[in-house]
Amino acid sequence: MSEILGEEGEHRLLMGNEAIARGALEADVGLAVGYPGTPSSEVIQTLARVADQIAVRAEWAVNEKVAVDIATGYSYAGFRALATMKNAGLNVASDTLISVAYSDVRGGLVVYVADDPGAHAGMEEQDNRWFTRLSLLPMIDVSDPQEAKDAVVLAFDLSEEHGVPLLVRSTTRVAHMTGVVELGAIKKVGRKPDFKRDVRRYTRASPMWCREQHRRLNEKLEALSHRVDELEVNRLHIPDGGAERGVVASGISWSYLRETLDRYGLWSEIATLKVGTINPLPRVLIERLMEEVEELLVLEELEPYLELHLKALASEIEVRPEIHGKMDGWLPRVGEYTPEGVEEAVGRLLGYRLREEREGHLEEARRRALKLAPRRPLPLCPGCPHRGTYTAMRMALRELSYGDGDFIVTGDIGCTILGMHPPFNLCWTEVSMGASIGLGIGLRYAGVDKPIIAAIGDSTLFHAGLPPALNAAWYGSRVVIAVLDNRVTAMTGHQPSPTSGYTATGGEARPIEADGVLRALGIEHIWVADPYNLEEAKEAFKEALGCGEPSAVVLKRVCALVARRLGLPPQPHRVDGERCTGCLLCLRTLACPALSLSPEGKAEIDVETCTGCGLCAQICPTGAIEGGEP
Amino acid sequence: MEHNILIASVGGQGGVTLSRIIARAAMRLGHRVVVGETLGMAQRGGSVQSHIRIGGYVYGPLIPEGRCHTLIALEPAEALRAAGYLGPSSTALLNEAALPPLSALLGEEPYPTLEEVVQALSRIGCGVHHLDAQRLALEAGSRRCLNVVMLGAYLAYLEAERLGILTPEAAEEAVRETVPSRYLEANLRALRLGYEALRGTL
Repeated sequence: MSEILGEEGEHRLLMGNEAIARGALEADVGLAVGYPGTPSSEVIQTLARVADQIAVRAEWAVNEKVAVDIATGYSYAGFRALATMKNAGLNVASDTLISVAYSDVRGGLVVYVADDPGAHAGMEEQDNRWFTRLSLLPMIDVSDPQEAKDAVVLAFDLSEEHGVPLLVRSTTRVAHMTGVVELGAIKKVGRKPDFKRDVRRYTRASPMWCREQHRRLNEKLEALSHRVDELEVNRLHIPDGGAERGVVASGISWSYLRETLDRYGLWSEIATLKVGTINPLPRVLIERLMEEVEELLVLEELEPYLELHLKALASEIEVRPEIHGKMDGWLPRVGEYTPEGVEEAVGRLLGYRLREEREGHLEEARRRALKLAPRRPLPLCPGCPHRGTYTAMRMALRELSYGDGDFIVTGDIGCTILGMHPPFNLCWTEVSMGASIGLGIGLRYAGVDKPIIAAIGDSTLFHAGLPPALNAAWYGSRVVIAVLDNRVTAMTGHQPSPTSGYTATGGEARPIEADGVLRALGIEHIWVADPYNLEEAKEAFKEALGCGEPSAVVLKRVCALVARRLGLPPQPHRVDGERCTGCLLCLRTLACPALSLSPEGKAEIDVETCTGCGLCAQICPTGAIEGGEP
Repeated sequence: MEHNILIASVGGQGGVTLSRIIARAAMRLGHRVVVGETLGMAQRGGSVQSHIRIGGYVYGPLIPEGRCHTLIALEPAEALRAAGYLGPSSTALLNEAALPPLSALLGEEPYPTLEEVVQALSRIGCGVHHLDAQRLALEAGSRRCLNVVMLGAYLAYLEAERLGILTPEAAEEAVRETVPSRYLEANLRALRLGYEALRGTL
């Protein structure tokens, strides 16, 4: 049985995102919908695994905006819906979300967004707490799996009681941390779909209505602000004898702070305020703390959101504490916090070192060890179809006599960007979902007269690549759209995309073909090729590059990891040591993790790793590599 | 009590599964457990670190600097990347079999030898034990059992140090609970082989 389906009162080891999923079940969520994005994807994945045992619909939408559109419709009908996304996903969803804030939601509507301090997933360190200022929406920030679960239940109750969508925010460290969670009861309320026409609430067609809706949203927040100080997510602790120093913390910083105070026995010396509601802030608790202490340290990752708000609140009280944080340089605005960094800041607040000074020789030994660690750039997986695509793309460009720098490949989000690494060295840019195509159009407008290839995955194309493809067709922009169609959203953990032919819960779905969609959008020159067939893929690229109009090459082959999971038997290839001359062209061209070097200096294939894609056999100049059909 | 275990591995070696097994075993014994994972992306081949934290005042998912008690490295050079977490009271258990990246295979970039890794870790002051876990995994039935071979080695280390973090029974139960049934027999063999191999050297 799945870990998240335990009984009330049981303790389970849950990842932060699994705890969010459990919270959704306890909150009577009927629909969970999102777009995959690290570190948020496990919520829908977890719910999808239990969907057949408990009445919940868990699915992936084409993008985050569509997910929130769908969740909103579900909420308008009186049901509870959860939408999930990564940090940048909120940008995509914001158009809908900011508008919906003006309407009254009916069933609870909660958006879960997972930020990424430290940029572990390799995108911007966007601090979405500021989205509450832009949208006015309430937000709860969580610091561990238990709190994540409880916050989801609370957020749904508040959303429904106040008629407003709520945001629950976590970060990578919370979303991907596993801890013990005490389960609550799974609730099921009988609900019936019911949506009545009320254009003054659900449309913005009149400026007067909009202003009225805006006023009402402010009133809802005002009402909420009177409740937040009492909520358990906000906790003020003032030691019995009072305290001269205090710390305000939110998110994972709170966990690091608790650990520090426990480890050094400091709870009796320092007043603490854990802030769980980012909007509205627990004003009463903040003011009580500021009246108590003389010096205050603020612990929050990324931007000084709390720090600024605390300073603003401090201006309204008579005796203001001195506030330390990012703005006076105590703590960094870039990257994630660490337990030792928090320890150091708390020590600085107290005016003494909490742990003994680092010994110089130990530091030096650590530095030397780290320097000895080899770089390990992310390779394409063994059997990755993108390896065939990028190899064929290189071959086509070379045969058309384009050297390095004579062409531009704009890259996109997902596994396809790995084409930027050696030996391919292909993608030049990575901006946002679908941006590869629009960038190509802009470069062309600027007078760039080189071949321009926009490399984009199937899931990314459907997410946000279709409008720019339509734009290219509309204006006849000479861009080659290379769709690296591996039939799945791969990098985030192999969630289905519109091409997959199945849903999040494994149900059947109609596979949508990128070539058909692009043709319908007005791209007239389209080639479909198998990236495991280098000759075919290379010829397709050559023709597309020569056609002089907007074109597309769709390279279809299922992700090798998915193929393995689907039980397609791998057909490992092998090297004939007699015929291999040790030129290592296979390793240099393909950088396949299944290939290595034998002690005799010849190519060697690991049978457990090799998937039998056959690319190395096609590359080998002496025909030394053999194997069956992929 | 606070006990911090760090698993350093290359994506695809089973480091995350090993962290799950250890966490389940510890929880089975009634310990408080927190696991932090740098999962990054879904591909194979990148560096992966799992922090398993067991004990009283453990709340955060990251081991504080220098407070790692046991480093389990499924790949020797990956042990070096954990240097910041290690100190004079740490112990490192290394798999000897290296997975050099392509640049190292082609001789374009240096790759440390096992001796260099051991020396670098010893300079930090930590104890180092190593075994050819890959060979033992193949002997057990598949290279995929490499992670469980290292679990066996860890159990032998705990026994020698008289540390009651995990018991062999709890570890075996957690293996049964975690690995797919078709690999169970091989994994149980791997557990035993890893245990015996390290016990023989302690």
